[in-house]
Amino acid sequence: MAGRPLNGPQRPLTVTNRPRRRRRSPPLEPACQQRRSPLAGAGQPRAQDGAGGGGCRGGGAMLGFLSGRQAGLDEPLRLRRAEATRRVLSLELNKDRDVERIHGNGINSLDIEPVEGRYMLSGGSDGVIVVYDLENLSRKPTYTCKAVCSVGRSHPDVHRFSVETVQWYPHDTGMFTSSSFDKTLKIWDTNTLQVADVFHFEGTVYSHHMSPIATKHCLVAVGTKSPKVQLCDLKSGSCSHILQGHKQEVLAVSWSSRHEYILATASADSKVKLWDVRRATGCLTTLDQHNGEKTKASSEAANTAHNGRVNGLCYMSDGLHLLTIGTDDRMRLWNSSTGENTLVNYGKVRNESRKGLKFAISCGCSPEFAFVPCGSTIAVYTVFSGELVTMLRGHYNNVACCVFQPNFQELYSGGKDCNILAWVPALREPVPDDVSDKCLPQQHLNPAYEDAWSSSDDEG
Amino acid sequence: MAQRLAELVEELTTAGEPQLEPGRLKELKKICKSSDDHIGHAYRLLLTKLREPHAQVRLSAFQALRELFARSHRFRTLLLADFQEFLELAVGTEHRQPLPPPAEVAQRLRKAALRCVQDWHDKYGEAYKKLALGYHYLRQNKKVDFQDVHARTVAERQREEEKQKRLENIYKEKAKRAEKEMAEMSQEIHETLTEMENCFRLLLPDPFEFTVNDTTPEPHKEMTANEDSPAPALASQTAVTQSYVGFMDDEQPCCSKDILSASQGVRTEKNEDLADKQETPEQKELDEGTSSGVESGALALHDDDYETFVRNHGLISHKYTLDLEISTDLKVHENEDNTAVINNVVDAHKLLRNKFLPSVQSWIQLFTRAGINDDRLRCAIDLKNKLETAMKKYKEMNICFKERKVMKASDDDDDDDEDEFVEVPEKEGYEPHIPDHLRKEYGLEPQSPPKAPARKTPAQPAPASSRAQLKGNEDELDPTCAAATLKLIRDKLPKLTPPHASESASTEPAASEEPDSKRRKLDEERAKAPLMPFGLDLHYWGQDQPSAGKILKFSSEHRFWAPSEVEEEVENNEIAEMLKTRYITFAGKFEPVKHKCRAPMPNGSLCERQDRIKCPFHGKIIPRDERGIPVNAEDRDREEKMRFEKQAAQPEWRDPEFMREVEAATGVDLGSSKNDGKGGKKKGKRKKYPNLTDLKQQANTSRSRLEKKVFNKGAVKRVVKAMNQMDQRKHEKFANQFNYALN
Repeated sequence: MAGRPLNGPQRPLTVTNRPRRRRRSPPLEPACQQRRSPLAGAGQPRAQDGAGGGGCRGGGAMLGFLSGRQAGLDEPLRLRRAEATRRVLSLELNKDRDVERIHGNGINSLDIEPVEGRYMLSGGSDGVIVVYDLENLSRKPTYTCKAVCSVGRSHPDVHRFSVETVQWYPHDTGMFTSSSFDKTLKIWDTNTLQVADVFHFEGTVYSHHMSPIATKHCLVAVGTKSPKVQLCDLKSGSCSHILQGHKQEVLAVSWSSRHEYILATASADSKVKLWDVRRATGCLTTLDQHNGEKTKASSEAANTAHNGRVNGLCYMSDGLHLLTIGTDDRMRLWNSSTGENTLVNYGKVRNESRKGLKFAISCGCSPEFAFVPCGSTIAVYTVFSGELVTMLRGHYNNVACCVFQPNFQELYSGGKDCNILAWVPALREPVPDDVSDKCLPQQHLNPAYEDAWSSSDDEG
Repeated sequence: MAQRLAELVEELTTAGEPQLEPGRLKELKKICKSSDDHIGHAYRLLLTKLREPHAQVRLSAFQALRELFARSHRFRTLLLADFQEFLELAVGTEHRQPLPPPAEVAQRLRKAALRCVQDWHDKYGEAYKKLALGYHYLRQNKKVDFQDVHARTVAERQREEEKQKRLENIYKEKAKRAEKEMAEMSQEIHETLTEMENCFRLLLPDPFEFTVNDTTPEPHKEMTANEDSPAPALASQTAVTQSYVGFMDDEQPCCSKDILSASQGVRTEKNEDLADKQETPEQKELDEGTSSGVESGALALHDDDYETFVRNHGLISHKYTLDLEISTDLKVHENEDNTAVINNVVDAHKLLRNKFLPSVQSWIQLFTRAGINDDRLRCAIDLKNKLETAMKKYKEMNICFKERKVMKASDDDDDDDEDEFVEVPEKEGYEPHIPDHLRKEYGLEPQSPPKAPARKTPAQPAPASSRAQLKGNEDELDPTCAAATLKLIRDKLPKLTPPHASESASTEPAASEEPDSKRRKLDEERAKAPLMPFGLDLHYWGQDQPSAGKILKFSSEHRFWAPSEVEEEVENNEIAEMLKTRYITFAGKFEPVKHKCRAPMPNGSLCERQDRIKCPFHGKIIPRDERGIPVNAEDRDREEKMRFEKQAAQPEWRDPEFMREVEAATGVDLGSSKNDGKGGKKKGKRKKYPNLTDLKQQANTSRSRLEKKVFNKGAVKRVVKAMNQMDQRKHEKFANQFNYALN
């Protein structure tokens, strides 16, 4: 480990026991360059944005981490976190990474399987579901994520209307689930691409979720147009529970990533409820944006999480906090054990989506980041301080979903412009110092980056 | 340097030329080359210009952007960071945000931008991911055909489609409404048509209904020569009906058949044969050949003794050709027997012409415009055809009206009234006229001799017929009749002679006595005197009403208990006045204004407004000469004074010339142009960008001006307020009715 960290920044510093990750090719960067300007580019994560988040560290800091790690003073987690944070902060649209264009319509949902982090599902608004392979095995920097298989329009079991949510079975890539506006939830066998089971509902399905950590149950929580949240048991193939309490359609559901029986649901009645599915009587708590304080505003809207529809819900990876987003253009962070509003101010988070909004939270960085679709951009916030770090611009129409790949700190986003964009940490570019200034133009990989001013003095 | 950059960008973009001026462009490039900061600055300046809502400015800004894009990597990264916005502004990808006017420049801008995007993609697409994405987005999502000459984006197509769709929706809506209307009205139309058809049939029976064998359609108009047949019973009927009387079926009085056959003396057969007679002789021959098998035995029998028949009638041969004169022009004369029918026809025709035909035509128009091509349209066309045939038929009927009596108030009405009364069948058991010798038996007082003859003024003409007179008397005796009521009133108020009678009685002797001049004068006055409807005041003309305005007042409303003084009379002057007064609204007569304001205006012409008293701009209208100077001296003085006061109201330091000088010196706008009025302001603006097309002028249509007025916030508020007030007033008015009070 100690001998290889400089081998390439593209290489993740996560300790892993899976050989596949190691096969990932390092970027073709000359080693001499690395040595000449060691880690210098880390200070400017995104050249054109010039944005520096809270976790922005200079090359010197990174050297300090490295030496500390080498001397065995620091635990490995610290270095890992520092590097992950740096990588997240330097996310950019990379010309070398592309995702194959299969969808002819907007993309509503993305999911990366948690087992290997290799395969990505995408659900389109024309009902098409595609499985992508994100792993670059070609040993070349340029890579287009290929579609492994897809449920196209000609497939006999394809969803008739827009697919709203896709999710891998958390423990295996052999199965995935998809729910759609055609009022069904389908369980698919990945290998044969056949439908293993279909659940029918009375209303359009906005969202569904399977617990990522559950070992004792196999429940899929489904939020539909009806105010009742339904729990479908994959073992028996039937709807086992109905959770009553909301007054309007349920736009987002999410299982806790810490307790396997805890479920959070967000509804258009501007309430967010936490449930223990073992309890029959009702919900555990209803999140209150005013923390129970009786203000004039709260007396009218008791126990509401937002002042508009709540259409996004995401647990942090440790399950201690819960992030919600509503059409009142606010995002709130809740303590998931007490149900308390932590009152982090994110400012205005533009949210015009009428359906559920899928946003992502990073994992393994030292301040965690939230990636929130905001019109045609993706806003990156630090979760605990509420600071807007940067806006990722690349989509040409509204972004509907984004998903974070924790192993390589990559972000994938899908939007209404049919694009799935891969946001990849930028390569460290050597800082042009005085000595290398002259020879810099030759170092450009692509002649397109060169300036083309005419040489004569009087001409521009 | 930065200031020079701003100046350059300003000059370049407001030049309004299709191509950038090379000298300034070179300078701009030179400045940009010198430093990256300048590139960023120039980029921001150009992007702001690109946001201007003027296609010429945008085109110039875009051209400058293109030049720099090709030069600098830094500029490329900057522009590509905002590439979405660039596409929106230069290509118009967002269909809610079309490119600004003028349209032809916008078109050029779009073409250039698209070509440029393609060039950039070919050259830099690999290196700049976002450029490639944008290109793909345009090509696949916005479906821009880069080879397309018109370079229409999907957004544009969408806009057009939306417009089309909106129009279509409107048409569909209208068509639906028309359909509903048609469903409602077609019943009525059909009824009217049937009514009209029946009326036609009554006026002019269709010959085909009576013929046995179908003949040519020609005889529709033909007439037989028996018009002059002396049929006393039918004398009053129209000539046309006469002519066809012979062909009427069995319901018709048989005498007419006899008469016909006798008068013509050709045949004595039954109806079927008579029907043949209307045909022209040629047809007759032909028909006799063909129809012999079909026709009844009578005809066969007739064929047998044809010879004898010919001989019996003193005819030498049966090979006569009989020439019948047929008058092709049809004429229906109105007479008292068919008045009702004709009235009906006329009414129906009026209805068709004024109501049904226009609406049916509008339906057809609507349906064709909405592209509806099914039963509805067919139905509407059918209706129209029917209506048109009915109208045509009506025209062919050529109805000649009797002269209409116009009921006038000045007509001596006593007789008319009686004539107008409809004869009602007498009631059973009711004896209208009780002879005097029987009155006792009925417990009635012997009636004083009727006043009727006495009442009749000598000026009135004698009743048309004795029968009518008798009828009138009988009417008067019928208590359900208005005449009886009239009579009763007359009997009860014997002293009140009817106004006409008294008038004529008083004037006539006077006229005879007084000299001619006075009489003529009186006549003149009478001609001048207005015609007034009859009213209470005329009724009580020149009489004192002792009891008028007296009201009986009951002081107690209790059922049993009553005060000792039972009645109490109260005089009410108002009611008494009411019997003597008449309200006449005097509206005066409209006289168009002939004069004009003619106040001199700043542009040298004279005010053309034609207000009656006061011009809203120049005050009271006074006589002025042809140069607009007041004729009267005091007016002139007043105007002079006003001008002086206006100048004095402006502080001396705001003297426009002085201000202009100060402005020129300091370069700060102090608003001197505002004082000058509209003309100055406009001039200033033109001076700013003389090369750009003035968008305001293009948008300055009558529609936009009206829009500005009508949709003005203040105006809308005012209207809403007024309407609310009206609503409220209604509430107040009907507040006691619960269904109004509730909402």
